[in-house]
Amino acid sequence: MLFFCVFVNAQNDSILSTANDSTKIKLKYGLRVGGDIGKLIRTSLDDDYSGFEIMADYRIKEKMYVAGEIGFEEKNTINDYLNITTKGSYIKGGVDFNMYENWLNMDNMIYVGFRVGASTFSHDLNSFQVYSIDQYWVPQLTSNTKQELTGLTAFWGEIILGMKAEILNNLYLGLNLQLKISASQTIPDNFDNVYIPGFGKTYDSSGIGTGYSYFLAYRIPLYKKDK
Amino acid sequence: MKYYKVLIIPILLIAMLSISCERDDICPDATPTTPRLIIDLLDAINPDTKKNVFDLVVIGVDNDDFLPDYIFQDTDDLILPLRTDDNTTEYILIKEASVNDNGTPNDNTDDFVDGNQDRITLNYSREEVFVSRACGFKTIFKNVTLTIVQDGDNWMLSREPLTDNQSVEDETTTHFNISH
Repeated sequence: MLFFCVFVNAQNDSILSTANDSTKIKLKYGLRVGGDIGKLIRTSLDDDYSGFEIMADYRIKEKMYVAGEIGFEEKNTINDYLNITTKGSYIKGGVDFNMYENWLNMDNMIYVGFRVGASTFSHDLNSFQVYSIDQYWVPQLTSNTKQELTGLTAFWGEIILGMKAEILNNLYLGLNLQLKISASQTIPDNFDNVYIPGFGKTYDSSGIGTGYSYFLAYRIPLYKKDK
Repeated sequence: MKYYKVLIIPILLIAMLSISCERDDICPDATPTTPRLIIDLLDAINPDTKKNVFDLVVIGVDNDDFLPDYIFQDTDDLILPLRTDDNTTEYILIKEASVNDNGTPNDNTDDFVDGNQDRITLNYSREEVFVSRACGFKTIFKNVTLTIVQDGDNWMLSREPLTDNQSVEDETTTHFNISH
């Protein structure tokens, strides 16, 4: 949200300056590569999470970028009755459309993105306690035998809303929100995918997942082209 | 005004997230989890009708407490929880029970329950079935057998499972009939 304010202010400043129509504005084209610093911070703060993501995009038209992410996540899901460790890696690919009208040689983005994502992952069921409403016989059966459920895959579609701001020459800070819609997943026998790396926490009631990322990226400038 | 707009969106997001978290993370009471054994108490003379047992007291063998629903209860059915950590559950059922004060009406530490005691033994095999993230696993019971331990003065006369290889997988139907 802070970025949004910066954009708004920047836009107001730009109105005051006079755009010179006679000089052509050059657009920079190049490969932008970044890392998810949000996941790094979460890894250091949250004992039950570790993960990292590398993202890249490449401008193919003035407003259009091909974009993708690759990452891994390890997440513990723990409640009174279950203790699960999920780990795996994922890859996402798609396009971003810049909706932000840049002034002069500014190169910021407020964008909408579309992705398809795929994940391979496994669950370790570390322990569980049987759930019973009736508590006459206590405690209920507790199992501490680790069960490994491996070779699982999931596919999903994703809509992204985000922004990227050039804070230094070719250096970008960005954030985005992701809404994911599950397409298919292998559901393990007598278990469920409580978490899917890249997709996030699953919900019993729907195939919707959510996510966010907060990243720092550097554009390797390759060539310039007239706007 | 601009600041209000900036604040409203994250507040809405947090509210939505917390609502969805709660709904998914608490096991709803309506979700079928570990089932209990349901027994109908039938009339031995007229086997198609249920018959009440009066002042019934139920206590699990190796359990210090009475089963809370059956403390001097008049009833024509029984709902008994089965142990999820063992393949056997045993109950003592006391018909027409009364409190015997052991000759000391002012001291209830030596009181005991009088009445016709019958003991039943339930043997079964167990299977843990995944329910959901919030509820975890439930236990279902297969090949359940009910044995009335003979003591020469049984008030339970006979028992009958509703199906062959009786299993207890839910609480929607009766699993055993006991006639008395």
